[in-house]
Formats: sequence, C-alpha cells, structure tokens
Amino acid sequence: MSRFQSIEFYQRPTTPYQLLPFRFTQLNERGEYVVTNLAGEHLVLQGDQLRALVRHELPRTSPDYQDLRARHFLYDDSSKSALDLLALKIRSRYRRLAEFTGLHIFVVTLRCEHSCPYCQVSRQTEDTEAFDMSRETADKALEFVFRSPSPAIKIEFQGGESLLNFDLIRYIVERAESINYEGKRNLQFVIATNLAVVTDEMLAFCRDHRVHLSTSLDGPQDLHNRNRPRPGKNSYERALDGIERARRIVGRDSVTALMTTTAGSLDRVREIIDTYVGLGFTGMFLRPLSPYGFAVKTNAIAAYSADRWVKFYRDGLDYILSLNKAGIPFREFYTSVILKKMLTSDDPGFVDLMSPAGIAIKGIVYNYDGAVYASDESRMLAEMGDQTFRLGSLASDSYEDVFLSDALLNPLEESFAGSVPMCDECAFEPYCGAEPVFHHTVQGDFVGRKAESSFCRRSMAVFRHLIELLRSDPDAKRIFLRWANR
Amino acid sequence: MPKSRSLTVDLTVYSLDCIKRSAYRFTDRFAFDLKIDGNAALCTLSFDAKASDQVMDHIVASFQKELLDQDLRATIRTETKEVRNLILAHAFSRTGLIGDEPFPVD
Repeated sequence: MSRFQSIEFYQRPTTPYQLLPFRFTQLNERGEYVVTNLAGEHLVLQGDQLRALVRHELPRTSPDYQDLRARHFLYDDSSKSALDLLALKIRSRYRRLAEFTGLHIFVVTLRCEHSCPYCQVSRQTEDTEAFDMSRETADKALEFVFRSPSPAIKIEFQGGESLLNFDLIRYIVERAESINYEGKRNLQFVIATNLAVVTDEMLAFCRDHRVHLSTSLDGPQDLHNRNRPRPGKNSYERALDGIERARRIVGRDSVTALMTTTAGSLDRVREIIDTYVGLGFTGMFLRPLSPYGFAVKTNAIAAYSADRWVKFYRDGLDYILSLNKAGIPFREFYTSVILKKMLTSDDPGFVDLMSPAGIAIKGIVYNYDGAVYASDESRMLAEMGDQTFRLGSLASDSYEDVFLSDALLNPLEESFAGSVPMCDECAFEPYCGAEPVFHHTVQGDFVGRKAESSFCRRSMAVFRHLIELLRSDPDAKRIFLRWANR
Repeated sequence: MPKSRSLTVDLTVYSLDCIKRSAYRFTDRFAFDLKIDGNAALCTLSFDAKASDQVMDHIVASFQKELLDQDLRATIRTETKEVRNLILAHAFSRTGLIGDEPFPVD
C-alpha cells in the first residue's frame, strides 16, 4: 500500500467537506471578503468563492480550498486533526485571560504645572493634601496589586504630573520590591511624566530600581508647546532635556514617548514622525483623541472625525513604511498590536483591543483619593461627574468587593463582543475590542450601536487597510511580519 | 419631512432574523419598520429629509445585498454550531474555567 494518496485523489473536482465556524465581512468595493476563523486566522476570498464554500461546491483543486483547509475554515477526510489544532490555537490566544490583572496604575497626584486643554484630570495647585495619594492609600493599593495571580506585574505611576509626588513613588517602588522579594514575580515600574520637573537624583533612583519612563511628545516644538502650555512656554525644551538626561543616567532604552493627537496634529504627521526619528526613538503610537474630560468640554473631539483620524493614521503608516524600506527601522505600535493579533496565535493583551474588555481584569487604577476605577478612561469619566466605572474604595472595600462588583461584571458581560449585535458576525472581531467605557461615554450604553460607533468605524478602517497592505505590498508584508513577531 | 422607501421581502427565502440583522447594520442610515403579512415582510426604510433619491437607491441596494450575506451567515451558523461548541469545549478544557472541572495543579 502506498504511503501517499493517488494523484487522482487530489485531482477530484469536488469532495465532501465540513465547514468549521468562521465569520466574514466585506473587504472592499471589488467584491472581496475577509474571512476569519475562531482563532483569528484570516483569508481573503472573492464573493463567488465564499458562496461556493458555504454551498459545499468549492473544488478540491481550487487554491482557495487548500488555503481554507490549511487555515481551518473547513476539514475533510485528509485533515482529521483540524479540530484539535484549532482548539489549541484558541487556547493559546486566550491563555492570558487566566493571568488576570497585570497593569496597576497608581495616580500619585493630580497636581500638574502644565495646563493642557485636552487634559481630563490635572489641577494647578500647590495643595498637596487635597490631591496627593497618601502612604496609607498606597499600602492598601499594594495589597490589591499582589492579590493578582498575574506572574507579571507592572506598576505605572500617573498624574497629574506624577513626579510632583516623587517621595511616594520612591516609597511604593521600594515597598513593592520588598513584598516581591519572596514571590519573585516579573515586577516592572513605569513613570508617566512630562519630564519638566525631573531631577538627576530622581533619574538615579530610576536607574537603580530599573524604572522605565514614559513621557509625552506631541511632535515639533511649536505643536508640542501649543498643546502643552506651562509657565515659561517651554514644555518641548524641558521634555527634550529630560529625555537626554534620562538616556544618559538611566539608559538608552529607559524612556519612550507617547503623543496626543489634536486637530493641530492632523496635517503634520510626517513632521511628528520626523521628530521621533530625529530624537532616536524606535517607534511611536499614532493615537486617536480620547472622548473624555476636557477634550469633550472644549469640543476638541468634534474638531475632527473618525475618518479624518484614519487619514492621519494611513498617511503616517505609509511614511513609517517608507522609512523602513529606506533602511530606518521604526515601528508604529498600534499597528504592531493589531498585526500580532492578525498574524500570530498570541494576543498581546492591549486593553483597548480586548474582548472580554480589559477593564480591571487587565489593568486597574488606584486613584489618589483611594477610589478604584476600571481603567484610566474610567477615572477621567469620573472627573466629568460620571462614576459608572468606580469599582469601590481602598478605604472600605475588599479585593473581592471590587472585582466581583456589578460595576465591573455588568459591563464585562454585556459588552463581550462574541455576543454583541454586529460584532458577533464581524470578521474583525478577533482583532477588535469591546470598549464598554468608550461606548458608555459616547452612546450611554456599554454595548452601543456599532453602526453609529466611531470606534467601530475607525477600527474597521485600520483592519481593512492593514489587510490590503499585506496583500498588495510584499515589502510592507515583510516589515509587518517583523513587527508582529517581536 | 422624512423620506421613505418600501420593500417586500419573501419570508420563504429569508428568515425574519436575517431581515432584522440586516436592518440593524443600517441604523446609522435609516429607521426601520417591519410588518408581517403572511409570507411577506413589509419593510419601510425611513431616511433623513436631506437624503437624495440616488443615495436612497444606493442604500436600499446595499440592504438587499446584506440580506444575501446574512442568509449565508445563517447557513454557516447552523452548520457549524455543534463543531463550534466542541472546539470551544476542547480549547478551554483543563483550564479551571469550565464548570465542574478541577483547576490544573501543574
């Protein structure tokens, strides 16, 4: 008996096959569809091929048939292990869910010496009593941190300007290291700071305790300084000086930067990217403007629509790809997250693109006053007077009270994309997120009507663009594969 | 004054679920009213007063294409329901996340 099937076997025009679960969504106006399976693997099919597939009329000799079988959209008598393999990939994809909360944000102060119009939370005050976190509150927050089963714990310090309460940061870092001495989890620290008030002594502490710095950089000097007013009108100069000293004292890779997108950014994406490249950063995050806090009050969010941001993103990504093709390695981080979800069986656990939503179960916020919020956006919403995502208080509630609260479980359950209208049948669902806080803010509902959701519109446009690039540009595909597999 | 278009869908061809799912995808473009008369679903699509005839024609055509897509999705859902549950049960077995299973100790 031969070890191989006869050539006739492979040439049979049709063969019985079974469908495996998959979703499809129209990709473009050319009649092409994206299909994704339960593990998030995708293919692009012509409409007539899709219909033939579902009607069991796809010939075995079709190239699409081989791809569909290899990627677990169908199985036949020669692919008996398809179900096991697909189950294994799904298992890999969701494995981090059981790890639970890894990111713990400590809002150590609301005080800030900047007065950025889009900032949701900061206070211009010298009143340390009213807006700084106390050691007692920090100790209670640390108890919550180490109740998490996560093998990797990241403690992030936020503000206001977090360095205005550096004494507390120092206390928390040393206390957390001491608690972790026995458990030996992967413990990391990040300070989110504009670097305007950073001293060499603070930087030396960061070096000694391997504390990472995440700063704000909105682009060229005039744009950055207009976005971020402070006494002296020198936010940009201070940031650059801080970056230079941080690299010198803490280490070359010790500081990363985040931009805030404003209406003034939209026509200047190349200049913004050039600023990052010129300062030696290896990547950046083309972020949309959030709908929270002062951003809403000042109508900044209305200044540009989701479509306008998508153009900004696409122009920026095109430019970043051209830099890479010219030999300058530089990544766009939002794209990298999506590509990892699209091209690997791994899920990087990016809070905005998770379902179940990442609120609290991926990242949680301990506010300066002891309030516990489901996410950074949740505390910004609270500053606008909406306490929907306030999960409890460190002063009066236990870990169980917080994580089993209706304020957390209701939005998690209701917004689960696998059972939300439109998301449940969307081919992009494996790459997307539930975003209950966003939809509650904009539509007053944890789920929201997706046809009217700017988050959905924006995300779908990005997914479609990346899939088109993967198909049409072999160089972009090579670059994307590198980003996805980092 | 809102403008509207009417459409009759044969319920022996498309299920009511298909029609509702299709209409839901267009909530940003029209309000939807549905009446059943025997095997006919009488659909009324109400548009903004500023919508042109050309725009309304285009949206109605898109809605009809969406009915086809939803019908295809219904076929996939029905045919793969059992295997979907089997795969998910397998994927989450021995994780401690499913009902009566013990949490793995290793």
